[in-house]
Amino acid sequence: MVRVKSRYLLCEINVPDRSRLFLLDDRAVAAAVKAAVARMHGDYGAALCSIRFSVKYLNAHTGIVFLRFPKKCYRLLWSALPFITCIETRGQKIECFLNCLHVGGTIRTCQKFLVKYNTQQLHRMLPKCKSEEERSQVREAILKCCLTRGNKQEFGEESDSEDDEEQ
Amino acid sequence: MSVFMDLNLSFCADKSRLRSLIETAAHLGFSTVAVNYTFEPTAKKKQEIPAPMPITDLMDQLPVVQGRSRPIRVLNRLTVVMSDSSHFRPTAPEYRRFDLLAVQPTSEKLFHVACMTLDIDIICITVTEKLPFFFKRAPINGAVERGVMFEVSYAAAIRDATMRRYTIANATSLMETCKGKNVILSSAAEKPLELRGPYDITNLGLLFGLSDGDSKEAVSSTCRSAVLHAETRWTASGIIRTTKTCSVTPIQQEAPPEESE
Repeated sequence: MVRVKSRYLLCEINVPDRSRLFLLDDRAVAAAVKAAVARMHGDYGAALCSIRFSVKYLNAHTGIVFLRFPKKCYRLLWSALPFITCIETRGQKIECFLNCLHVGGTIRTCQKFLVKYNTQQLHRMLPKCKSEEERSQVREAILKCCLTRGNKQEFGEESDSEDDEEQ
Repeated sequence: MSVFMDLNLSFCADKSRLRSLIETAAHLGFSTVAVNYTFEPTAKKKQEIPAPMPITDLMDQLPVVQGRSRPIRVLNRLTVVMSDSSHFRPTAPEYRRFDLLAVQPTSEKLFHVACMTLDIDIICITVTEKLPFFFKRAPINGAVERGVMFEVSYAAAIRDATMRRYTIANATSLMETCKGKNVILSSAAEKPLELRGPYDITNLGLLFGLSDGDSKEAVSSTCRSAVLHAETRWTASGIIRTTKTCSVTPIQQEAPPEESE
């Protein structure tokens, strides 16, 4: 069976102040990645980027992006990601850097990792909670975060279970 | 899950910036970082070697590393930019306050001396200018045998395009001669925005010419070897180490895997 394979890169966008995250949208991130690849790898990189690259999911609250690359050249395109220093959107420049957390073959595996990662983050946040109600809120969110069959919940976000395209 | 280390965070006098640097490093998953004090002696006047700021001074509670349960470990490191062989005095007492010692040679002769004889842990490769000399197999093999690591830093590459070319060129020529052994990749980050995650740095290593396995080691196990090599400087032939306690008794420490005579 011949199947078109891609690699999904789960990245986190780190910004110094979180309020700027809300201005992001997926087209801005895609443009930033394409520009960085063109700068680093020239015309060859820009051409590779136009094959099957897209931003599959972006969460402006937490700064998580899913990027899709073709399997043949994902390492080359991944190597250009550390050189992104700022993302331009609506005329504003947001200084940030991308941190890759996980590489998966399908969106589903990336989502599973993301659920685990988010529970880890919540566990990290728990000792820092200042008030009792914050603490109970965080505890509730951790307990809700589980992958049940057919009904995936990650803080109430949409689950996108699109698999690789079959040709 | 291996231990990731970043052994080059530039020291800046601004405490809050240093604090945010360390917090970002902990968030990205680095278990150990080293704050780097650069010392550039000029021949004209005598300069003092900067004393390291104690970590408790900086922040009272070190942040917990992402994905682990221990707080981040912060070491002190000194880099001496050598333009003359008298700049690095091996028995200076100020060097004892630092956990790691590094040297940045600027000429071929100094590079040879640093590889073969000087008592250091890390040799920095210049990334901000074209290498004035070529690497030769003999001193590099000598350094590899002694346990000295070569360091390539990538923050300059992130800042500027010409620096990027120099970084890649110098790093590639180093990899050709040393075959990927004893290499450390680290940021020379001054701002928290210049740090990158460990998997991203592993990928950068591929750009420089390292193989997959070597590239991951460059961020984890070779760094650990460098830290252990530094610890052996405190010990007698790598086995016994004395520390002051209330009663004066020698405390035995296991011989670390890499020990220097």
